[in-house]
Amino acid sequence: MADPGGPKRQILLLDDEAAISAPVARYFRNLGCSVDVAAEPEEAEALIVHRRYGLAILDVRLTRFGNAEGLEVLRQLRKRDHWTNVIILSAYISPEVEEEAISLGADAVLRKPQPLADLAQLALALMGDAQ
Amino acid sequence: MSHPCLIDRILEPAALSVRFQPVYEIGGNAVRWHYVECLIRGPEGTSVEQPEILFEYARKKNREAEVDRACVSTILGAAQCLPGSTRLGINVHASTLAMDPEFLTFLGDAARQTGIAVDRLVIEIVEHAPPWDVAAFRNALDGLRSIGAKVALDDVGLGQSNFMMILECRPSYFKIDRYFVHGARSDFYRRAVLASVAQLALPFAARVVAEGVETEADLEAVRAVGIDLVQGYLFGEPRTGADLKKSTLLGAA
Repeated sequence: MADPGGPKRQILLLDDEAAISAPVARYFRNLGCSVDVAAEPEEAEALIVHRRYGLAILDVRLTRFGNAEGLEVLRQLRKRDHWTNVIILSAYISPEVEEEAISLGADAVLRKPQPLADLAQLALALMGDAQ
Repeated sequence: MSHPCLIDRILEPAALSVRFQPVYEIGGNAVRWHYVECLIRGPEGTSVEQPEILFEYARKKNREAEVDRACVSTILGAAQCLPGSTRLGINVHASTLAMDPEFLTFLGDAARQTGIAVDRLVIEIVEHAPPWDVAAFRNALDGLRSIGAKVALDDVGLGQSNFMMILECRPSYFKIDRYFVHGARSDFYRRAVLASVAQLALPFAARVVAEGVETEADLEAVRAVGIDLVQGYLFGEPRTGADLKKSTLLGAA
């Protein structure tokens, strides 16, 4: 896969499972992206106040919290901007969750587990569109 | 495996660290420290290493006052390495002063434990959220002044550091944000804002600190309107205590 092109590719990754977030972050960093990993919704919301991202990859339901925190982060993000690309990545994708995510402005909804190469291909395509 | 909760990590002993950035007084060709601002850093390698993200996170967790206390303790401990005559600028949220009735006692105790006289402290008021108890805030400021601390208002001209806040704080220092400073020499309107803040400070018997002085041109612009307290990368980036002690200007402190 082509190098996505330097530090302008800023990604926010919300996932409280280090076993998932660590390899995803590493994969994107190896592609030249800058990745901030948040394990809590408040951490993600603090980051989006002060940083701009080309892409946010948001889990919907964080293990420790048990609600649809990822959708709330998406809601907060969309209050601030409409240009950050968003991929919802979760094991808990019901038709209702998918519908709400899209209505809130998610660009794609993917079910875990997802091959990293497929996730990266979609992510890079979205960020390419954002340039 | 899940991450440990970030707020707990922030509040662990030695999780926070401090960088020091002097406010310089320019007099003729002489430059000397006026006071040293103590800047907090979140746990290294985390997403909250930068203070603005650290406090945004703490605010969203409703733990701002607790984090403010941890920052004060860390700063006073770290500042022990500085000369005993150095005044110390410490950022505290207005909401903490308004909502934490024991903060003043805590500050006095923390200063005593670290051997730092309270009259060396310049409490820099920062705020991001407007709703708090104004009467309690005023009482806290009066309390700070009564124990000999000075009050500074940070980021004047931006966000919550507005005219209302100036009236509530009656600060000894107006810290004018870098937004108005950097590039002012070639910007008539920025210079007009700087001049108006310099005038505004006069009836308060306050001094103005120009933040974000990055170039000789910035310095020239602020001095042209009578501002002689400056801070910024022209004089160096925030440094650790050890690095600051090595700085050539230490003898002038």
